[in-house]
Amino acid sequence: MIGISLRSLLSHKLRLALTTIAVILGVSFVAGTFILTDTINATFTSIFATANAGVAVTVHGRPIAGQSGGVGGGQNHPIPTSLLATVRAVPGVKDAVGSLFREGATLIGHDGKPIGGNGPPTFGANWITDSAISPYRLRGGAAPTQPNDVVVDAGTAAKNGLTVGQSLPIVFLGGVEEHFTITGVAGYGTSDNLAGATIALFTDSTAQRVLEGQDKYDSILVSAQSGVTDVVLREHIAAALPTYAVAETGQQAAAAAEQSTESTISTFIGTPLLVFAFISLFVGSFLIINTFNILVAQRTRELALLRALGATRAQVMTSVLVEAAVTGFVASILGFVVGILIARALLSVFGSASTGGVTLLPRTVIIAVLVGTIVTVIAASLPARRATRIAPVAALAEALPETQPLPRRRVAIGLIIFVLGCAALVTGLFTSAGSKLQLIGAGFLCVFLGVALLAPVLVVPVAMVLGWPVAQIRGAPGILAGQNARRNPRRTALTAAALMIGLALVTCVAVITDSVRVSTNDAIEGAFRADFIVFTQGPDFNTQAAQALQQDPSLRDVTEVRGTSVIIKGSSQGIAAIDPANLGSVLSLSMVSGTASAIASTNTAIVDSTEATASGVRIGQVVTFDFPQGANVPIRIGGIYTANALVSGYVVSLATMAPNVPTERDAIVLANAANGGSLSQAETALHHDVKAFPLLMAMSRSEYRTFVGASLDSFLNLIYTLLAFAIIIAVLGIANTLILSVLERTREIGLLRALGMTRSQTRSMVRWESVIISLLGAVLGLAVGLGLGVAVSGSLGALGITEIAVPGQNLIVYAIIAGVFGVVAAIFPTIRASRVDILRAITTE
Amino acid sequence: MAAITTAGASTTATDSRPVAARTTEAVKEYGKGDAMVRALDGITVAFGKGQFSAIMGPSGSGKSTLLHCVAGLDRLTSGSIHIGDIELGSLNDRQLTMLRRVRVGFIFQSFNLVPTLSALDNIVLPLTIAGRKPDPAALAEIVRITGLADRLKHRPNQLSGGQQQRVAAARALASRPEIIFADEPTGNLDSRASTDLLDFLRHAVTELGQTIIMVTHDPLAASHADRVVFLADGRVVSEMQSPTADTVLDVMRHLGD
Ligand SMILES: Nc1ncnc2c1ncn2[C@@H]1O[C@H](COP(=O)(O)OP(=O)(O)OP(=O)(O)O)[C@@H](O)[C@H]1O
Ligand SMILES: [Mg+2]
Repeated sequence: MIGISLRSLLSHKLRLALTTIAVILGVSFVAGTFILTDTINATFTSIFATANAGVAVTVHGRPIAGQSGGVGGGQNHPIPTSLLATVRAVPGVKDAVGSLFREGATLIGHDGKPIGGNGPPTFGANWITDSAISPYRLRGGAAPTQPNDVVVDAGTAAKNGLTVGQSLPIVFLGGVEEHFTITGVAGYGTSDNLAGATIALFTDSTAQRVLEGQDKYDSILVSAQSGVTDVVLREHIAAALPTYAVAETGQQAAAAAEQSTESTISTFIGTPLLVFAFISLFVGSFLIINTFNILVAQRTRELALLRALGATRAQVMTSVLVEAAVTGFVASILGFVVGILIARALLSVFGSASTGGVTLLPRTVIIAVLVGTIVTVIAASLPARRATRIAPVAALAEALPETQPLPRRRVAIGLIIFVLGCAALVTGLFTSAGSKLQLIGAGFLCVFLGVALLAPVLVVPVAMVLGWPVAQIRGAPGILAGQNARRNPRRTALTAAALMIGLALVTCVAVITDSVRVSTNDAIEGAFRADFIVFTQGPDFNTQAAQALQQDPSLRDVTEVRGTSVIIKGSSQGIAAIDPANLGSVLSLSMVSGTASAIASTNTAIVDSTEATASGVRIGQVVTFDFPQGANVPIRIGGIYTANALVSGYVVSLATMAPNVPTERDAIVLANAANGGSLSQAETALHHDVKAFPLLMAMSRSEYRTFVGASLDSFLNLIYTLLAFAIIIAVLGIANTLILSVLERTREIGLLRALGMTRSQTRSMVRWESVIISLLGAVLGLAVGLGLGVAVSGSLGALGITEIAVPGQNLIVYAIIAGVFGVVAAIFPTIRASRVDILRAITTE
Repeated sequence: MAAITTAGASTTATDSRPVAARTTEAVKEYGKGDAMVRALDGITVAFGKGQFSAIMGPSGSGKSTLLHCVAGLDRLTSGSIHIGDIELGSLNDRQLTMLRRVRVGFIFQSFNLVPTLSALDNIVLPLTIAGRKPDPAALAEIVRITGLADRLKHRPNQLSGGQQQRVAAARALASRPEIIFADEPTGNLDSRASTDLLDFLRHAVTELGQTIIMVTHDPLAASHADRVVFLADGRVVSEMQSPTADTVLDVMRHLGD
């Protein structure tokens, strides 16, 4: 029996090629994701290992409240420079050096633009003179000795043509440009730089000034005298440390750094990519089911003959499954290879400093092959079960009726899965439990499965409606196209369902982004009173800009808005601070109770109504804010307002926040045009002022609205790109189904050609069937996506989605694109159909 | 009354009727070299307008090949075929398709009907393909004489073999083609259904003046025709006017030797 299935496999090369492509695409995405993250991780591991080679013990501050548990490691308690002497005095210490390493030193390139744009982080650090400990290795030039000396990392220098001796403008924390002289170029450990980030190295005192770490370090790096082990030394040092500091061995520190980057990478790159990879596989499994279904249908006589000759049901089942397993296995291996190429391509996009090789862990091969094979076998098991039900007499039957009635049970199961999916989704969306994401994911999956199971019921009516205009326009080919689309509802439904999933997800995301867009526009129109907004896409900026703007007579109400995160009732939460004096002139909050100006009194906050309800906070109540700077501050609730897309959560005054945070950084600065001056005059003045701050952007209200729209558009484009795989697979699925259908209908097509159907009419017939299938997918996808999008948007009220918007224009475009996909998918099937040999078709028995 | 002519004798129209289709030195070869088969070996024959012609001959004698070539489904290796004034060899695929659509009707032995279409839709299919509307009166007449009135809404798989062939015959007539080609139309039918179908074809010729060319193995079927052309090894070996089952059987036996 296995021999037979292998032979049948080879004789259906074309049919299986498309299945194989589906598996390859899905698996390559999965494998590529793993390879990408493994490679980046391996790069960091080797960087950290070489950079920390000379460090026996690292001392750093404990994580401070409100920041702990943050992604990528939180902010730690700073180390005063005085602690250096304490550590140096510990017996066994050979040398100890302070290290300051912070984000916020942006180099300005020859073109006057920030190097790296909004991409990788821009680090500033102090040059460490003890070369035995230092991770920085001078590649050329000299170490910084003067206040205006800087050493840049070799990667950045090479990429941007920076040379020793040249003058280099640097912006710190979003402030004004300062001019430095490059004295040297250094590597980080043995690598050119830190995986694409820029590093600028200064003298100790300059670093402390520009990175706002006066008299502070972030860590102390210690080397051991010979004969003293790291572990012993760590114990000695730990004993000498104050409570806010901890000591780790160099190895522990490297491992911790590694772990924190790994978790950052998996959170921001690995997991999202994997989600989309599995969506592609899920869509691919529809294609696989359909292919095997059709293969089984076409082999009905062969399989029945085998049964008549004494093959058992189990043998028939095995023969189909073996075919699937072999296909899945081969395709998975190919998918793995394609995955390597994808990872390489992505790595060059990310501009990683990796040496060009990729990291291939055995785990990746195993997962790729297992996932691909198992998905194929599971998908083929339904058709395989159908194969076992073929009665031996079918071998004798002239031709099989192509349409089987849809079993009620299937409809019932579809309905149940759909309803369960909706329930899981709604529960997931509106719960705050930890299983939120899992519930939402399961909800989406079940909704898709349910709709796919129910879709055959919809095929006949929908295809009739869609087919009507086609029949009017195209005549006989149109009528036949409609008939063909409905003749096997399950096949059509499964084919359309694959496209449905991709389109539903696209639609869902489009509804959400449009809701955000409309809500933000509403907020900008309603809640946002300021004429101008100044902000940056990087981390928060220092107060230099606000100070400069306050000096400008063309502007008034220059208002800083700051943010930090605090722990309230056990969970970390972002809060905002603003100057209460200007609050009314730059923002208009609609209050539910109390007044916005209540925050003028110290330690008073206002909170939005959604958050208030969620955490059971009432006006007049006192809640404890656990601030980063260690203080548990009792805060009185002075008012409750309605959240909008710009302002939500707790808001306090600048004065309330200032003593409780380590630094004063602005998230945005708002301003109005001065009384008497014209708006355009003020705008010119503002732009002139902001020119001194290369990282900052200044916009009028309408510019800001456009900007928000544009960033939402680029988010949407990213999602389109990620879903492209799933949609390509779905289009392949349509092509596959059609090719198989055309093969199946060879005689019929030959007959039509004999009766006077031209080649172009034949092509038209197949093409319109394809378009009808695609549009069916579009109708289902848009409907399901709309439902999902509305549900998800509705649950995001706390994030300020005040209005659910349906991007009608986008939806129409999606439907048109789906139709075009139909035409594209039909290219090969139409060619095949028009090449049908009339005589062969009408004379074959 | 049966006039048997010998092979090579005048096989052009034996009476003065106008010609619906004719072949001149038609040769059709399949394959190349050693595997080459000469299915038609220089056939010159004419089929009169308004005549019911049968083509007979042993299996493999080239009957289907001749029919396919004359009907514009296949091309000759050499020689020429005319339908009316049109020489088929000079037509491209599209022109041939148009010719089939407008001037020709078909009844095949099996698989005549599009399974997704109802009987009525199948009957009017060539007209639909051509974007023409059926003449309701003519259609009603065809439906009446084929006796399909109560079967029009049925799909082919809900019809018996005989009914399916009658639908095919109705379809062939519905577009009022110049010639109807039938390749063993009764091959899968029992004698009762065969007789029904043949009576219908005869009726179409007599009453409507339809031209029909039919390939058959069945002497009884051939006896419905006005004239029989006998083929053997790709040549016309004999022909007969006003055949009966017996005279046809005679010739067949003779050819079988
Ligand atoms: N496509 C083809 N390729 C090769 N040879 C062919 C092809 N079609 C027909 N032939 C050969 O041409 C010859 C005539 O075939 P044709 O089908 O015309 O015979 P026929 O008289 O219709 O026979 P039957 O009564 O069995 O239907 C046969 O020898 C056949 O093998
Ligand atoms: Mg034949």
